[in-house]
Amino acid sequence: MANPISKCTLPLLLGGILILGSTGLIRAADPIRIGAPLSLTGSLADEGGKEQQGLDMCIAAVNAKGGVKVGADMRKLEAVKYDYQSETSRAVQIVQRLLTVDKVDFLFAPYGSGDTKATAVLAERYNIPMVATSAASEAVYDQKGKNLFGILFPNNAMVQTEVKYYKERVPQAKKLAVFALNSLFPKAIAAALRDTAAKDGFEVVFDGLYSQGTLDFANALTQIKAGNPDWLYATGYIQELIVIRRQMDNLGMTIPIVTMTAGAAYPEFEQNLGPLSNNVTTNAWWHPSATYKDSYIFGGAEQYTATFKEKYKKEPTYLEAAATAGCEVLVQSVEKAGSTDPEAVRKQLSTLKFETFYGPIQFGPSGQNAINSPMILQIQNGKYAVLDPQAVKTGELKVGVGTK
Amino acid sequence: MIAQYIANGLLIGSLYACLAVGFSLIYGVLNIINVMHGSFVVLGAYVTIYCTLYLGVSPLIAAMIGCAVLFAFGYLVQRHLINEVVTAPIFISFTLTFGLDLLLNNAMIQAFTATPRSLILNYGSITIFNVSLSIARLGAMVLALVLTGLLYWLLRHSQMGRAIIAVRMDHYAARLLGIRVEHIYAITFGIGALMAAAAGAAMAVVFPITPLLSGVFLGKAFVICVLGGLGSVPGALVGGLALGLLESFGAVVFGSQWSTTVGFALMILVLVVRPSGLVGRKGFE
Repeated sequence: MANPISKCTLPLLLGGILILGSTGLIRAADPIRIGAPLSLTGSLADEGGKEQQGLDMCIAAVNAKGGVKVGADMRKLEAVKYDYQSETSRAVQIVQRLLTVDKVDFLFAPYGSGDTKATAVLAERYNIPMVATSAASEAVYDQKGKNLFGILFPNNAMVQTEVKYYKERVPQAKKLAVFALNSLFPKAIAAALRDTAAKDGFEVVFDGLYSQGTLDFANALTQIKAGNPDWLYATGYIQELIVIRRQMDNLGMTIPIVTMTAGAAYPEFEQNLGPLSNNVTTNAWWHPSATYKDSYIFGGAEQYTATFKEKYKKEPTYLEAAATAGCEVLVQSVEKAGSTDPEAVRKQLSTLKFETFYGPIQFGPSGQNAINSPMILQIQNGKYAVLDPQAVKTGELKVGVGTK
Repeated sequence: MIAQYIANGLLIGSLYACLAVGFSLIYGVLNIINVMHGSFVVLGAYVTIYCTLYLGVSPLIAAMIGCAVLFAFGYLVQRHLINEVVTAPIFISFTLTFGLDLLLNNAMIQAFTATPRSLILNYGSITIFNVSLSIARLGAMVLALVLTGLLYWLLRHSQMGRAIIAVRMDHYAARLLGIRVEHIYAITFGIGALMAAAAGAAMAVVFPITPLLSGVFLGKAFVICVLGGLGSVPGALVGGLALGLLESFGAVVFGSQWSTTVGFALMILVLVVRPSGLVGRKGFE
């Protein structure tokens, strides 16, 4: 009789070799690379830094759970970052480089509507999906491409909510003053607000623009003061808005409602102005107090905020959150598609509805997020109170900015 | 309301004057376009802000510290770097200061980050005859005018000042008369940097400061010097006030977004019609 051990030996040996061999075959697959042009220096350095933090949060969370599941492989996620120094022309060059030299799998758009629109053309030409996490103007998405996906919902949705909210709460407010920075997003959202408000019965007593690098707003503000508005809507980025608020105080202006965007939603606004920031309202595309749940990473807005605070020692704003969410929807699309093929991933991005800690995201036909969840915030005694939506509000509108 | 516009124009105009006077002096005496001027202003502003916030001194003392630091810095930079090319064609020194500015500006971005910082001084405002004036801006205006006046006095009535004028007129002759020309050059550059720091301290009270503003300040200094006349302290004063008033009324007539354009358009006009500036003469004071 054959030795039972020797009878089993060969199959066992072969089996053993196969098992050992196959573990050797499971080598680490190449990481998935997201190309990220970031404005880490220059006039948008603050915003670029926030985007980077948001992106890093997502990458860390995804890699912590093993990476991205692409078919049978687990692949790590990584970002290829370059600093475009807040110069649009350099952003375009860097995106070109990311596509042709680094050959990244996907792209992140640079900061802001203007730079996003400029670089979206390249994504279209090379047919690589690009996620825009800081562009809200509808004009960005009108180039009839299919590769640009915007996390922030359109300006129009934001201003409609604002007009409705203030009209309900302060029905005696009739006169509106609009003062906008002459740049894509601030100009667009101011124009959208002006048109929406005018249709809703507001009288526009002042409608002006100012250019970048303006150091003195006293004269425009003097004119605005003369018009005696009930609502001032000032747009720009953080630096200008700080000076505008200061000079309003210098001129002794008191206005029932003062809304400033974008930049007033960032903590640096309140830090620089101190008590002058009291009762200034702003809008946001997300806020840490939101109650959204997320089954993919973080678990929900609360946990995201806690993790962010632990890592960066400050609260996240909608900018960081949108950057994280942008990376998240990309990764989820890759997993659903089972590959990094741009066509397959694009199909998933265009059709799926994502439930994230940032809120529900579903990209409409133009590529922009079609689910609107505008939030209205007000700075009350150094803290941000959420005024709207009613489901998550933490405070009521306090009327009067600049009252002594 | 016209009174308010005039007041606004004068308030910002005196800041502009202080901004330009250092630049004008360096250009006039050393024949150097100091591209670092904007960065000096920002550095002075930062020193003021940090001294006020972390050393707890009053903004005025912090401003003086800023002036002293920048004076020393300017002196050293000129004596050891720019002095090598001070007699070379203006393009060479322009390139050198441009390169140094790139270094300085990016060093500041690294050190301070681009996040805007400012001094939160809530001094309030006063109203005279229906014109609202911010106390902080008034203080900045006074500081700017006093320092400009001091500089004017220095140039006219002190030994150092006359030596500076002499070097400017003819540095060979000045050397023959026993004036240490390298030292005078460096002192002048230091004074230019000091005035920039003073302007920066004044700015810190009214605007949030970031290193990215240096280009804006340099542009303004340039326009003012052309408007008022290069190398002349009264010229910088007149030019600064003129620009302030022009931007003020330009904003009202054409809209805020045109105020910078109005300034530059006027600069071109002055270059064509009266190249020596409104107050400048083809000579020295």
